This record gives sequence, C-alpha cells and structure tokens, in this order.
Amino acid sequence: MNSFDIIVVGAGHAGIEAAMASANLGQNTLLITSNIKRIGYMSCNPSIGGLAKGHMVRELDILGGQMGHVADQTCIQFKRLNSSKGPAVRGTRVQNDKKKYSETMTQILSNQQNLKVVEGEVKSLILEKRECRGVVTHDGAQIFSKAVIITAGTFLNGVMHIGLEQSAGGRVGDKASIGLSDQLKDNGFTVRRLKTGTPPRLLNSSIDWSKTTPQFGDDHFFPFSLKSSEHFQLPQIACHLTRTTTETHEIIRNNLDKSPMYCGIIEGTGPRYCPSIEDKISRFVDRESHQTFLEPEGLDSDLIYLQGISTSLPEEIQYQFLRTIPGLENVKMVRPGYAVEYDFIEPTQIWHSLETRTIQNLFLAGQINGTSGYEEAAVQGLVAGINAAHKLLNKDKFILGRDQAYIGVLIDDLVTKGTREPYRMFTSRAEHRLVLREDNTLDRLALVSRGLGLASSQHLEKMEDIHQRRSAQKAFLKSTKIFPNQEVQAKLQSLGMVAMTKSLTLEEFLRRTDVNPSVIQSFGFDLDIDPLVSDAVEIDVKYAGYVKRQLELIGQAKKFEELLLPQDMDYNLIKGLSTEEIDKLSRVRPRTLGQAQRISGVNPSAIQAIMISLKSSQASKEKSHVRHADTHNQSAPLAPRDLV
Amino acid sequence: MIYGGDRDRSTICAVSTPSGFGGISVIRLSGINSENIIRKVFSQFPKIPESHKIYLGHLKDPLTTESIDQCLFSYFAEGKSYTGETTVEISCHGSPTICDRILKALISVGAQAARPGEFTYRAFMNNNLDLIQAEGVLNLIESRSQKSAQLAFRQLMGGLSEKIEKIESEMTWCLAHIEASIDFSTEGLETTTQEELINKLSTCENDIQKILKTYQTGRLIKDGLQVALVGKPNVGKSSLLNLLLGYDRSIVSQQAGTTRDVVSEELIHKGQRIVFLDTAGIRLKTADDIELIGMKKTKEVFQNADLCLIVFDLNQPLDWSMDFLDPDLIIGKNILLIANKSDLVTPEIFEKFMKFIQTQNLLPDAQVIFSTTFDSHSKESILNQICKTLLDDEAAENEVLLANARHFENLKVSSANISSAIAALKAGDGAELVSLDLKEALISLQDMLGKRFDDQIMDRVFKEFCIGK
Repeated sequence: MNSFDIIVVGAGHAGIEAAMASANLGQNTLLITSNIKRIGYMSCNPSIGGLAKGHMVRELDILGGQMGHVADQTCIQFKRLNSSKGPAVRGTRVQNDKKKYSETMTQILSNQQNLKVVEGEVKSLILEKRECRGVVTHDGAQIFSKAVIITAGTFLNGVMHIGLEQSAGGRVGDKASIGLSDQLKDNGFTVRRLKTGTPPRLLNSSIDWSKTTPQFGDDHFFPFSLKSSEHFQLPQIACHLTRTTTETHEIIRNNLDKSPMYCGIIEGTGPRYCPSIEDKISRFVDRESHQTFLEPEGLDSDLIYLQGISTSLPEEIQYQFLRTIPGLENVKMVRPGYAVEYDFIEPTQIWHSLETRTIQNLFLAGQINGTSGYEEAAVQGLVAGINAAHKLLNKDKFILGRDQAYIGVLIDDLVTKGTREPYRMFTSRAEHRLVLREDNTLDRLALVSRGLGLASSQHLEKMEDIHQRRSAQKAFLKSTKIFPNQEVQAKLQSLGMVAMTKSLTLEEFLRRTDVNPSVIQSFGFDLDIDPLVSDAVEIDVKYAGYVKRQLELIGQAKKFEELLLPQDMDYNLIKGLSTEEIDKLSRVRPRTLGQAQRISGVNPSAIQAIMISLKSSQASKEKSHVRHADTHNQSAPLAPRDLV
Repeated sequence: MIYGGDRDRSTICAVSTPSGFGGISVIRLSGINSENIIRKVFSQFPKIPESHKIYLGHLKDPLTTESIDQCLFSYFAEGKSYTGETTVEISCHGSPTICDRILKALISVGAQAARPGEFTYRAFMNNNLDLIQAEGVLNLIESRSQKSAQLAFRQLMGGLSEKIEKIESEMTWCLAHIEASIDFSTEGLETTTQEELINKLSTCENDIQKILKTYQTGRLIKDGLQVALVGKPNVGKSSLLNLLLGYDRSIVSQQAGTTRDVVSEELIHKGQRIVFLDTAGIRLKTADDIELIGMKKTKEVFQNADLCLIVFDLNQPLDWSMDFLDPDLIIGKNILLIANKSDLVTPEIFEKFMKFIQTQNLLPDAQVIFSTTFDSHSKESILNQICKTLLDDEAAENEVLLANARHFENLKVSSANISSAIAALKAGDGAELVSLDLKEALISLQDMLGKRFDDQIMDRVFKEFCIGK
C-alpha cells in the first residue's frame, strides 16, 4: 500500500504529536523517520517544561497530546519554578530518563490505530499544481498522500561543528536531510539558516561529586497530565550545581578564534536566550563565574548533561576548560559539545493552521518553523496534525487565540512576526499572562478539547468534573456570606488575623491575603479543599482585580485587533511608511491592524498611518455615496430640458 | 477630521499669515507636486532649485498670463521643510485680494486648499514633530503673550518630549528587567536588584511629580491669569481697572451700578497675560429666589477666576463689610485686598482697616495693597502682586513646564501607577503584578507622546488648528 491520507516526515517531538493527532482523527497516517531507534529522542537537555514551556505542555495534554503524560511517567526530578513569584508565572519542569522517554513514546506510536511508522529518508515532495501529494524517499519510491506534514527539526541541510571541523548531520549519529529545503527554495520559499548548540556529555564516574552542591527536586508532585498518577513512577534523583571559574573563562577567551561562531564559519543566528558559554563569556565580561547544573540523562545512564555550557570549541579545548570547573578536574567526555547549523522556513510563509501559504496541503511544524525547544515543537505538531486532518475532513481550522493559550501566542507570533533567531516561549510574550496560567489550563481548554475529540473520554470526564467543581465553588463563594459575629471575630483573633468590620461574601473574604480555602473551611463552611479544585479558584478570586486591569489594557489594543485590513491593501500608497515597513506589510498581509502592530520592525507611526489611511478611504467611500446621490438629484430637473 | 490616504499625496496650499491687510502675506505650498505647480505660475523658477534659497519674480495667472504680484519664492527641499515635503513659501504683498488670486491660481494648476492644521499634521506624519511638539505649534500660534509664546516654543523645541522620553526609557528598562527576572529566573543571570529597581522607579516618579507641579504655573502662563474684580458699588473698581489698563475703558460714574454686565479686559504685564473680570454689575449674593439665574452666571465667573481682587474704599469705614459677597464664591480662592483711595485718609484709618480685616473669617492671610487710582506705583505693585501670588517662579524657571490638560492627566495616571509598582515591589508582590503597573504607566507616557495610536487624541490636537498652520 503506497498511499496514505497524511504523511508525517520526522518522529521528533513535533512529528509524534502530529502523527498521533492525525491518526486519532481517523486519518490513515504514515510516520517516516530516518532513525527508528530515536523516536521522541531528547537531542539536547534531558528535561521537559520550564517557564512558559510547562504551560504549553499542560495545554497540550488537555487537548489530547502525548508529551505531558510521558514526561510524568519518566520523571526523575520534579520542580516548580518561580514558586516565590505569582501563580501566573510559575512553571513546571521535570528531568526525564531520556531512554525511557523515547521507549515510552515508541510504544505509544506502535499501539496507535491508523498509524504506520517506517524508517526512511524523504528526499523530496510530490508537488502538483502547488498542491502537495506525497513524498519521494531516498530509494526513489513515491508514497502518495492527501497531505504532508514536515517536522524535520534541525535536519534540513544540517551541519555540525566541533571547533573548526564540520560534518553533515542534524545530530550526532544521524544523517542530515538534503534536498527538501532546496526543493522548497525552488518553489519560492524563503529559507534561512539558524544555529543551535548542545553541551558536552560527561561520564558519571569521572566526576568528583563532593565538590558540587546537590539540588533536589520538590517533594510534592503536580503531574502535567490529569491522566498521570499523583505519585512519582520512578525514583527521584538529585542534580548537582557547580560553577565556572576565572580560569575557565580565560581558556575560552583565549580560544575564541577556534570557535566556529566567532571566526565566521557559522552564519546562522543562534538563540540569544540559550547562549553558548562562548557567548556568555563575551557578553557578560564582568562576570567571574557562571553556574552550571550536572543533570543525569537517566536512572541507569552513565551520561551527565552539563546544563548551561553549550559550546562548539574543539574537543581538546573543551577538555581544558572543563577541568578548571570544580568537580570536573578529572572529567571524561563521552561526547563533546557541538553546534548545529540548519535551514528553517521563514514562518511568515505559513498560515495560523501551519499550512504553507503557497503550497496546499503542506504543513510545517517544529524547528523547521524557526522555534527552539521540545515543547514549542510538540504543540505545533499537534496543531499541524489536527489542521491537516481537519482539512481532509472539511472541518473548521483549529486556531487558538492569544487569550486562550500559549499555543495561540506561539503560532500567532511565528506567522505574523516571523523570527530571526530560534524562537523560545516566554511568559512575557503573552499579553494575557495573568489568565494563561498552569492552574486553570483545563478551565480554558476543556471545552475546546471536547470539540476536538482527541482526548480519551475518561480524560475528558476528569477535566470536566474538575471544571464543574471549580465553577460550583466559585458560585458558592459568591453567594455565601460570613458575618462579623462574636464567634467569627474571636476565631479571627485566635488565628492572629485582622477583625472584620462588616459582613462579606466568602469571595470578598477570600480576597484577603491571609485567607485561603482551608481558613474558610475552618470557619465551618463546607468547602472542597482538594487543591485541584480550590487552588485555581483561590487564584482566580485573588487575581480578579488585576485580570480586570489587564483586560482593560488589552481592550484598548483590541480596537486594533478587530479592525480588519483589506487583503488587497496597497501599502505602497500609504504615506509615512518606510520601505522596510511596506515590504514587511506586503509580505505578511496582516488580517487586522493588531496583527500589523505585532510585526517586528513596523513602528507605531506606521500603524497610525495605516489607520488614518483606512479611515480616510472609508470616509471618501461614504462621501462618494453621498456625492452620487447628489448628482442623481441634480440630474433630475435636467431631464425635461433633454427632451426639448 | 483625520486626513490620510490619497489626501496625503496631494499638494496643498493656504495663506499662512493672518487675514487682513499687512506689509506682506505668506502663502505656503507643500506636497510632492510643489515644484511643478510653482513653475506653472512662475516660469523662471529654476529647474533644479536650491533648498532654503529665495527666488524673486512675477507670479502670473496661468490662464491670462497676467502678473498678479511680484513675489519672493522660498524653496525648501523634501526632508528639509517644516512638513517634510517639498515646500514653497510665497511672500506676496499683504492684501486679501492678492492672496485670494494667488490661491486660485495655484488651485487652478493642481494644488488643493489645505484644511485646518494640515501642514502640521503632515509634519507629524513625516516624523518631523511628535504629538507634544505639534501641540506646541498650536500653542505658539495661539499664544497671546510673550511668556506663553516662550512656553510654547520650548514645547515645540522638544524639551518636554525629551524629558518624557527619558522617563519612558528608564521605565522600559525597569519593565524589561522585571520581565527578565520572571523568564530567566533559572539561568542564574540576575541583572538587577530589587533595590536598584525601586531606586530607578522612585526617580521616575519624582521626575514626573516635579513636572506635574509646574502645571498650575504652566497653565496660567499659557491661558493667562483670570482675575475677578469685586467690591461694593462705588468703591472705585472701574477707576482702578482704568488705572491698571492705562486707558479709560468705560464711563466712570459716581452713581452706583453703572457697569451692568461682566466685562473682561486684558493686559500684558511683563510678558504675562492678565484678564480682569469686572463684576460690577452682577449679583454677588442672592437677594431672593428671582435672582437665582443671575447668580448662576456669577458663580461661573468665580469658578474660572484664579484670583479675586476685593476692593474697599478706605474713606467709607461704615461700608467696610463682606456682606455683599456670597462667601461660597471665594472659598479656596486666592484673594488680594485693595484698599483704595488711600491718599485721602489718615494713619488711624489705616490701622482701623487692618483691624477690620482681622475680624473677617474669609480674609485671614490675604495680602493688602494700598492704592490710589491715579498712581502708576499702585498699578505696578498690584500687577506684581497678582503675578507673585499665582505664579511659582521656581516652576516657571523649570526646564520643562506643563501647560496642557491632556499631558497633566497622562502624567497623573503614570505617576499613580509607578507608586503602585513601587509599593508592590516593597511588599514583595508577584513580579507579574508589578509588571502590570509598569505597563499601564508606560502606556500613559506613550499616549502623551503620541506613540500609541489613538485617533481621538490626534483629532483633538489637530482640529484646534487654523487653516494654513
């Protein structure tokens, strides 16, 4: 059988979600990977989640994705980041057993109906009349399909750099994918180059652990997925902290000419937000030391990942500087750090559905769109998988709003702003940050998920149950009053709390900083204090004032958001736009003024100019209507004379 | 009211000097076609004109080729003019007929009549001015005293914008670092401390407070001082006003109540505009219900007044009382007492008058000026005292002076948000909440600078312009 509904190219984090979503939606799906032993492989750090990334993993889980549940099952350390900051910016991160993660994912794929996984290399796409009809593999075989999703990660024309040496490949041990990006280029796509890097992997037994500081995870586990057990499935381990020294920095500084990044060999733009140690030392000249975490790659793995020290210096230099770091005096490297340069497709060339704008039924997801990170990739995979299936099923496009999910923010940013460096998600990218929290993910997306039908019915019931209990609790707090009678005041006093001056609804009472659901319960109210229910309710109540202000801010912006721009708008005719702005606006063709505003390099004055131009063209249209009517009236009395 | 689109591509013209007869008038022509249009009415205009150069010649009617006037043509190249577009300013003889004929000539060969504020609007759209500067242009044109013109000029030169932009950039720094503390908390790259943030924000808030404090003085310099002149009938208010103005403005009569309505008169004192509201004929107290309507008008006068001059006739001690005046009208107002006709009285009466003031609840700390209605010294001291009471010299000397109600509101909001951010930082509240405060504060500043698009603000700014500006 050489024909499928949907072909997914690449079995990384994006490819898995895309293939699972497509198959789950009843599409006969083929997943092609160049290395069947590395499905869902963690090419870089052995962890999932983090600030803003943890949010996306939870969103993905509610929508029926795989990453969260597998990360929970293979978790060997759990941490809630920013726990001292407000609830909106807390993020979950887990360390994972890399091997078990990949094995579990492989298992899930093999159990999935409608899905076939094969090893192979895709050389080109079958294109007919700007529509994608399948792929051609390395042996020349044609495989036909109605849609194709490319999730090739860093493999497109991938080149690895260690020092001044280069080799083709998207990852150590894997071949690069040659041909695809040239074909896309030939079809008019703008293809650019990015760079990323990974740190050295160290041999566990060669580290003097006594010179490092152990870092333990949190005891209390809040799994990403509602499907997961609330208990750790694997033994929990510690990571270890150590720091670079001035000696380390000197060695690196003296050898910058051997770093491909610094002597001009690498042209691709690297991630500013995940800098190499060479970058860190050049950029933060005053700093005498940088922290680094030693993270085990698994329970029975000998490999230690050196978080924060990605480098592409030659192997012998890596050895030199590593051995100046406390604990690593006699370290042995299993694999040196290296940089990868790869092609990506400027993402302003795809729609919000992740389908390309110029070739029908071709979808792109993950690093090929210029993002960095497993989580960013996975959520795009899900969106592409759903949209490819929906297109074949004649269903509506699946597009999440910026006020609904980080996933919506990610995709909107990519397709409107484009990117010039690997795009990583941050909480600050979300203007609706206060409502896009980890704790209320299911409240935001449970209904959407039911509509999609990817999550199991058991999973859906669980989220709907929690959502309903939260709604009920909110209603109860709103409608129930607490009175400042003697008994209440006495109890407040005994708890060391400020007395009440008037009767309050429980909702108002909960707004006090010293009141939480357990306190309310202790006053004799029947309150569900299961944290899954009451945490989110409490945060909603306490945040309400701020959320309102945030909404007002956004409401002002919404004026732009809702102002539709004509798709045939000629930006050349608008006065006050720079050539760069005209170019960008003409290329992106923003749907709304809000989208135009978010295009990088388009200045506020340009937005004013567009707005003014819109207003005046509306006004002149109205005027021309009026004028038309006038002419009509005037011409009427002339008629008799014409007869004469 | 907002222009734009095709309109922006047209070449516009208007008389930029006040209407009426004068030595010369200036007609401004601005837009992409200015050069071509000029050549059609002034054939000797060079093929490649030089910017900022003046050419002399006859401006001819393009239809009849009859010369309309001998004119000076000042040429400003694109990017080097007020509007940012190619501009020609035609200086002609100052007659409305000539101006009118020239305009008609220009329009007949493709120019369009400019709309109010359109030149400045174009300057704004071409980034030659920011919104604050555009408002400065408006104020400059409308300024009615030397001081208010100086103030407007300072605004046009960008002093206020510069200051606000500096604060904006500091705040952006703080916001960026707060965001970094949220999103990069795990990278071990702390770039600032809580203390530094609080210090920086406090400086921003202080700077804004300083600017806010200049508003009262700035507004008075811009709009002029409104002074209500009150007193019992026949204490010499009208004579006093004549003295201050330096001319006979109304018949001075011995009979009480000669002046029948509120009369406003203005003068410039040391570059400062002062407007006097003579209340002689209006009711200052409700005698009965029928008078309520008259009273409403009176209240309006007092609401607008920045200062009340209360005049007493020193020669009529029996008439010294505040009975004539509804105390509600002057509560909270600046008051200056004028003890008039002081040349005719004895030292005992002076003393008696001072004692009388002490007994009046409404006049506890009021300044007293003894005056005579024909003494230029009295005039000087009254006018000086009015300025001294109302204008804060220190504020007036401040490098920036706030004079616009819109700016005042923006800065007030911004300041409140910054102090809330500082309080949140001190209380250890979540960084995301501090960030919200700072975003709100920043938006107010950006609104003030016109960096954010709000068509209502632009509308308000540009609709106040006259044609030709």
